[in-house]
Amino acid sequence: MVSITIDGQTLDVESGSTVLQAAERLGIDIPTFCYLKRLPPLASCRMCLVEIEGLRRLQPSCATAVTDGMVVRTNTPLIDETRSSMLDMLLANHPLDCPICDKGGECELQDMVMAYGPRKSDFRDPKRVFHSRDIRLSPVIIMNVNRCIQCQRCVRMCEEVVGAVALGTVEKGMDTAVTGFEGSLASCDQCGNCVEVCPVGALMSFPYRYKARPWDLAETDTVCPHCGTGCQLTVGARKGEFMRVRSKQEHGVNRETLCVRGRFGLDFVESRDRIKRPMVRRDGALVPVSWDEAGDYLRRRLSAVENKAAGGLASARLPNEVLYQFQKLMRTVFRTNNIDCSSRWSAPFDTLGPLLASFYTRASLHDVIGNDCVLVVGGNVTEENPVTEYLLRDAARRRQTGLLMLSARPSRLDADARAVVRVPPGGEAASLAAVVAGLAAAAGQALPGDAFAGIGATIDRPAASTGREGPDRLVAALKDGRSVTVLVSVDLLRSPEARATLQQLNNLLQVLSLLGKGAVMQFLFDRANQMGAWDMGILPGALPGLRAVAEVAARRALERAWGTEIPSEPGVDLDAMLDLCLDGRMGALYVAGTDPLIAYPDRDFVKRALGAADLLIVQDTFLTDTAGLAEVVLPAAGYGEEAGTFTNNEGRTQKVRKFREPAFEARGNLEIFDFVAALRHHALQPSTQGEIFDEITQLVPAYQGLTQDGLGADGAFTKAAPTPPAGTFFAAPPTPEVDDRLMLVTGDCLFHNGYLSERSEILNTVADDPYVEMSAQDAGQLGLSDGDQVVVRSAQGELTTKLKVNRRFPRGLVFVPENYRALRLNSLMRRGEYPCPVEVQKANAAFEIAPSAGSSASPEDLGQGMARGSP
Amino acid sequence: MTMREKIEDAAARYPDQRSAIMPALLIAQKEHGHLPGPVLEEVADILGVERIWVYELATFYTLFHTEPVGMFHLQLCDNVSCMLCGSEALLTHLEMALGIKKGDTTPDRLFTLSTVECLGACEMAPVMQVGDDYHGDLDPGRIDAILERLRAEAGQAIGADLAAASPGE
Amino acid sequence: MFEPVLLKNVDVPDGHLLSTYEAGGGYQALAKVLREYTPDEVVDLVKQSNLRGRGGAGFPTGMKWGFVPKRADKPKYLCCNADEGEPGTFKDRIIMERDPHQLIEGLAVSAYAIGAETAYVYIRGEYATAIRRLEQAIAEAHEKGYLGRGVLGSDFNFAVHIHCGAGAYICGEETAMLESLEGKRAQPRLKPPFPAVAGLYASPTVINNVETLACVPHIVMRGPAWFRGIGPDKSPGPKLYCLSGQVRKPGLYELPMGIPLRELVENHAGGPLPGRRIKAVIPGGVSAPLIPEVGLEVAMDFDSLAAAGSMLGSAGVIVVDDSTCMVKVATRIIEFFHHESCGKCTPCREGLNWVVKVLRRIEAGEGAPGDLEQLEKLCKGIFGNTFCALGDGAAMGLRAALAHFRDEFVAHIEERRCPFH
Ligand SMILES: Cc1cc2nc3c(=O)[nH]c(=O)nc-3n(C[C@H](O)[C@H](O)[C@H](O)COP(=O)(O)O)c2cc1C
Ligand code: SF4
Ligand code: FES
Repeated sequence: MVSITIDGQTLDVESGSTVLQAAERLGIDIPTFCYLKRLPPLASCRMCLVEIEGLRRLQPSCATAVTDGMVVRTNTPLIDETRSSMLDMLLANHPLDCPICDKGGECELQDMVMAYGPRKSDFRDPKRVFHSRDIRLSPVIIMNVNRCIQCQRCVRMCEEVVGAVALGTVEKGMDTAVTGFEGSLASCDQCGNCVEVCPVGALMSFPYRYKARPWDLAETDTVCPHCGTGCQLTVGARKGEFMRVRSKQEHGVNRETLCVRGRFGLDFVESRDRIKRPMVRRDGALVPVSWDEAGDYLRRRLSAVENKAAGGLASARLPNEVLYQFQKLMRTVFRTNNIDCSSRWSAPFDTLGPLLASFYTRASLHDVIGNDCVLVVGGNVTEENPVTEYLLRDAARRRQTGLLMLSARPSRLDADARAVVRVPPGGEAASLAAVVAGLAAAAGQALPGDAFAGIGATIDRPAASTGREGPDRLVAALKDGRSVTVLVSVDLLRSPEARATLQQLNNLLQVLSLLGKGAVMQFLFDRANQMGAWDMGILPGALPGLRAVAEVAARRALERAWGTEIPSEPGVDLDAMLDLCLDGRMGALYVAGTDPLIAYPDRDFVKRALGAADLLIVQDTFLTDTAGLAEVVLPAAGYGEEAGTFTNNEGRTQKVRKFREPAFEARGNLEIFDFVAALRHHALQPSTQGEIFDEITQLVPAYQGLTQDGLGADGAFTKAAPTPPAGTFFAAPPTPEVDDRLMLVTGDCLFHNGYLSERSEILNTVADDPYVEMSAQDAGQLGLSDGDQVVVRSAQGELTTKLKVNRRFPRGLVFVPENYRALRLNSLMRRGEYPCPVEVQKANAAFEIAPSAGSSASPEDLGQGMARGSP
Repeated sequence: MTMREKIEDAAARYPDQRSAIMPALLIAQKEHGHLPGPVLEEVADILGVERIWVYELATFYTLFHTEPVGMFHLQLCDNVSCMLCGSEALLTHLEMALGIKKGDTTPDRLFTLSTVECLGACEMAPVMQVGDDYHGDLDPGRIDAILERLRAEAGQAIGADLAAASPGE
Repeated sequence: MFEPVLLKNVDVPDGHLLSTYEAGGGYQALAKVLREYTPDEVVDLVKQSNLRGRGGAGFPTGMKWGFVPKRADKPKYLCCNADEGEPGTFKDRIIMERDPHQLIEGLAVSAYAIGAETAYVYIRGEYATAIRRLEQAIAEAHEKGYLGRGVLGSDFNFAVHIHCGAGAYICGEETAMLESLEGKRAQPRLKPPFPAVAGLYASPTVINNVETLACVPHIVMRGPAWFRGIGPDKSPGPKLYCLSGQVRKPGLYELPMGIPLRELVENHAGGPLPGRRIKAVIPGGVSAPLIPEVGLEVAMDFDSLAAAGSMLGSAGVIVVDDSTCMVKVATRIIEFFHHESCGKCTPCREGLNWVVKVLRRIEAGEGAPGDLEQLEKLCKGIFGNTFCALGDGAAMGLRAALAHFRDEFVAHIEERRCPFH
């Protein structure tokens, strides 16, 4: 600690702090432009100059480290004059077109001039004008170079935080301008973080351009619906019409940054693809009816299927309160535990439950990634959870965190990693087993005797065929790290090996804790409320609070609170529910906010199964493919149309706020559940969002103590009550067979994560066309080049799309994003098989080879792959 | 050596490929005369660095040209020492002799005329650089002689090109 | 008559060849330090000589070397500043064109002293001849074992690489040079950390000017006492002076540090052109404030010129005679800085732009009352507040012109024309 005196006030601060930080602590305002909290100082704008006793010149407080006994002054006439002079020079070249500038009213230059600027300027010579027109850098970013004050926040943000290195600075001196390669940002991430940090109206959002004045906007702080990172954002609406998203420097896990989906992908709320009125199937077609008619119809149909099985599938994008109420509806009114929350995979709760209970760490990501090592398993965090990736990059670059990557898909973050292990698709479990074995062997005596015996007995087998050297590098790094965090991409759950992977994660975390390295684990979910969905018990085997259905005490507690019985048999997951349908045993299948027909492997099978349910009820905001098969369709409020809470990957619960009324005849999800329950002569108590939240805090231990009012700008963390691990180790999975076929995996791409993003007009304008990615070597061998139209064929089906050659891809890996509904990717996939073996060929060649091979794809179907955003 | 080989050769001098962008641009400009977008992309590709970094350097430094220049780039120094020794009059003379203004290229694409900051040869002010060569102690007469020589050189070069192209036909 | 040391070979035919250099005793200093001195002893030698950097700032060279940490967990680098962009300066070019081995030997001895195995010579791209000659010389030296693995049979490894600039004055500023070497836009870096601790690729780095390095072998061979015996004790040594402008015998002169400016201009460089009188002299490149004729008694060394309100800078001495309009000279100087401003900091980038606009107007006879006050206000906003010394140089130059030749500025404004046309 060193002592510093600023304007007569003395303070002790940590050595290494800057004068600016010390002044902030004392509440002394020092103006800045180029300073951005999360970046190293640039000290170029010279607004923050201060007097330091003993130094001849003024010093930039943003970049001057305090020394013991330093005496600083920030309020002398010289400083006033200097600040005013800097502003005078800047303003003299600034266009002063504030009345038509989007930034007018929230411009840092305006504010600064009001506070510190000259009252009048003597400059009479003509201003500099670079370009008379604004430059459209990308579909969403537009630049007025004349207004730029060269603080370089945007460029530094782009390179150092986002890692895109798309923006740069060209020319020098007075001609200096911020722009993209050859004046274009056409191939950047389009995250718009550059726009957000621009203090003036230089970089602007094109979609928001000239749309509103800041003071006319009603702003609502809420949570991004696009992925599990759970960024805070602020929606600006005018007269109920969505206008823009911005982010605030101090708030949320994201602290001002967002990705393209968060910043530009919220216009889906205005999508025309809405279900306007309730619909029922008459003579094979869905016809709009009133809510009353729908109620009458549904009442009849529900009693007709009363004695058969029932099932419920809800989206992990719905708020906690809606999900909680959904499972209550299913368990108490439909009397079933057949409940699931993903239309893409099912989680084996027997393994997942203990893993979550023992190791899931509900704590801020910022803190958990400050550990010595962070191991990221699976997925592609850059594209699936971009803002999490920014934080990881920051930890690697500025906090000496050693990043370790183990995945089939390469990602941009690999460049900042200390070790990267590329596993064959589906080879995660085997590689993890090798890491566990390596750690156990290396630790040897360090582990307590009996614990070691336990591991030895189950896992002392040679590592899998994934090649030793990769896992060895991880072992070496993990051994040296004092504290380790494991982040797990949820895409591992797609695999039939999901159980084995979770088991090996369990082994790894146990070994790490035995070695005294802490053992912190979080999932990287791609759905905004996946954690909440699990917590709320949207699982066949678990009740709210993640307690097993089979646990009598847990069941009793809920039964007491709900005043009714809960079926004691654990339910079945989505896959088994579909089997029930096909077997003709499913009565009512209730699907809320999700679309298995587009997402679950084997589209034909799903279609047949859904068609075979006696009564398919779909409650949704948008007209999905699944809704197209339903017998009853109920229009529900969408994101932004009802209040609630999300629980993000960190276990942070945050408020999702309402900023508009439900469109057309849509009703709130909770209201619809009441409506359905009433048809069965039940009343779900309580039934309002606030009361449900309170019930959750009483009945779900992790949520105890939370209050609605306590969910401030940063939300509040749910609390884990860690259960000690069972202490047993799982056997290593069988060595995967070496398979040199091309293996297809899927996941999210940067611009889309399905469902919502696909309905964002803006995202559709910036996103790539549908594509398939493969390595340069594989493409070369197949005689394919970047941009070719290719056919991807599996045993199950085929699709046609554009090839993207990715130099970072390993051989054998093929990736198709799952987010383009037109591709109908799930037609290629087979149940219980992942990754999916495929062949890739040039499109026209494929026609020649198999003109009448009787494949399931008609030319029409192939055509669908090429058409963009088919209705 | 191909351009790629020359660039890779230069890059071997540095522990970081990014350092080789400047040498690579100098090599590429020798090869192509100037640095249009596709050349910048190629340089980025060869070095495996971000394209924007290459673009930044190509525009920051005055010796790089993203637009084509004439066969001979006449760069007359007009900094203080040369100015004191009469470079202003020489500029007027050059503009008259070539029929263009400073910053322009003659329609036959033979000459581009620029003024530049101090060339570091003030002992022979006024100075002009043409290609790699410095010409000092200039006066209108010497300028005319230089232009004449360059025109002759250009004639030969073009003649040689024609000669090289014709035999087969 | 002062015996030239640094320029000994420049007028010798084939002075750039290794054979010529060796014949004159070349590379003996290198052999001597490798044989007889530890690196620290070489640093001490240079400290004792009181050698001060010839690049402009005059920082004691031995002291700079002493800041390099002894730990060897990172490679160390030596960078030679051969960017020579300061208008009025051409000394480094002449050394590299005509006696490149002198620089190479200086580099080798200095690298040995600081523990560097790699040196980059940052030469401005316009210097095609110097680049070619230095390349040849490096190849020759390599062949003869003065460079490469195990220099002269010792265990000292040393490689010299040339890095060509591409036309940006700011690259002469040492931290901007490092950025440029790292392949970035050449904009100065924050200090601390100082280059000696974290410079090129965040490794310890010493940056020295060509002339500074060229002095080093002579200090080794003739001893620090010899060096200190030339010129003032605190700023001693033989010095290269670049004479140009309106003077009879422009050219490069090697003379003792501390020689009076008048003697330099009038005796050595032949004085003003026939029929002309000297009006002012810029003593150290355009960054150095001009000195009016009455001040010419000042001694040409770092301290004396600083005391006289100017600086030795690069010793680019530009003579201005009475036929020349000072407003025009001042305008041209500020235009230069404006053109070469890297654009990083507000006062330099924006401020110089306004200074140029006002000056051009005055020079064109369109000045107005208040303009001079505005210029002074701008100088105040710029001076001391810029990120690097480029902005300071501009502001100081303008202030000097306004102080010493205010009447010429006033005349332009009052007569609404340039009195010299
Ligand atoms: C704007 C600016 C331009 C400079 N240009 C040069 C230059 O062209 N050559 C040079 O040797 N030093 C130049 N310098 C000085 C260098 O920053 C640095 O002080 C010098 O290279 C150190 O070498 P020395 O200690 O041997 O003098 C310049 C400084 C500034 C601020
Ligand atoms: S565009 Fe905006 S943020 Fe970027 S440098 Fe210019 S003023 Fe700063
Ligand atoms: S905030 Fe310190 S110089 Fe810009």
